Amino acid sequence: MNKELEHRFVTELENNQNIVHKVCSLYTNDRDSHNDLFQEITIQLWKAYPKFRGDAKFSTWMYRVALNTAITLYRKSKKKVRTQDYDSVIFKIKADEYDDTQEQQLKIMYKAIKQLGDIDKALVFLYLEDKDYSEISETLGISEVNARVKMNRVKNKLRTILNP
Amino acid sequence: MMDELELLKKDWQKKEEHLPKLSYDEIHTMIWKKSSSIVKWIFYISIIEFIIPHLLYLVPSMRNNSLDIYTDLKLTNAILVVSILQYVVIFYFIYQFYKRYKEISVLDSAKKLTSKILRTRKTVKHYVFFSLSMVLLSFMILVIGIYFSDNVIEILGLEDNFEGMSEERIKLIIMAVFAIFGVVVTAIFGGIYFLLYGLLTRKLRRNYQELQKLEV
Repeated sequence: MNKELEHRFVTELENNQNIVHKVCSLYTNDRDSHNDLFQEITIQLWKAYPKFRGDAKFSTWMYRVALNTAITLYRKSKKKVRTQDYDSVIFKIKADEYDDTQEQQLKIMYKAIKQLGDIDKALVFLYLEDKDYSEISETLGISEVNARVKMNRVKNKLRTILNP
Repeated sequence: MMDELELLKKDWQKKEEHLPKLSYDEIHTMIWKKSSSIVKWIFYISIIEFIIPHLLYLVPSMRNNSLDIYTDLKLTNAILVVSILQYVVIFYFIYQFYKRYKEISVLDSAKKLTSKILRTRKTVKHYVFFSLSMVLLSFMILVIGIYFSDNVIEILGLEDNFEGMSEERIKLIIMAVFAIFGVVVTAIFGGIYFLLYGLLTRKLRRNYQELQKLEV
């Protein structure tokens, strides 16, 4: 493969790596798995890159590949280490920005999201990233109406987890 | 609730500064690493499943002995027809598998991608069904062959083992042994296979069902 393509790809990914890191932080529980998933997404992105046409934004295109890898292709490694402090690194909340109750609420919310199933996580992720329903429906392969219905259910699910 | 979610959204979008940051070189080394995706796994495992039944023929003693028995039991024609049929079907399965494997694209929607992977896997599942049926069928042909054979005890070299028993009785025992053996072998291979298949596609099936639930 040619060097120029390689250089363009790595540069674009380097600039947009936040998207991948966010997906990894939602779908994994420890640093090793995070890196593992990041690497797998990178490989999948690179494999698909020759088919990437400039007409879409690189970041838009990344969402689909990253989520597909997390939901479908990635196989969790055997060890299931649940390190609590890892969560708090990624979802760190600056104490001075919020009052205590808000901070507490956010913490509970992030925890609740991590308990959701793979598909629900994807919905929440796309919502948090401010994607509209047409993009959500295209990424997941469900109709727009159903994306709305499903999103409402996820919100309800979160509500139940928050207020048991 | 809406307020809480809006608050969460704002917080989420501010997260960027806390995320890890990989350098150009770190990303660059990653692109040449080997993928360990489930599609790769399914591909390798499927190839093994296509090959395994044929490895048995590579064991020389297996080949000679079984063929001898078939020849002596006058089953050569039946076995030949079955073998030809078997290879036609196997090539059909391999073609189907390859076609579907090639269709898998990470650029599809999550639902389409999952469905394509499951379909590819299903081809292999059907192939395994077919292989197991063939194993069972071979044993059945063998049992029938024994039934119609006049000198089965001689062929199997069991003259000394059954002294004082009527020939009918010995034949029945041998038939029963082969029949039971055939069923047990098929069941064991089937059991191992479906356990493996289930484990490998559990996550995929769960997510696919989740995506499908709403589309009815």
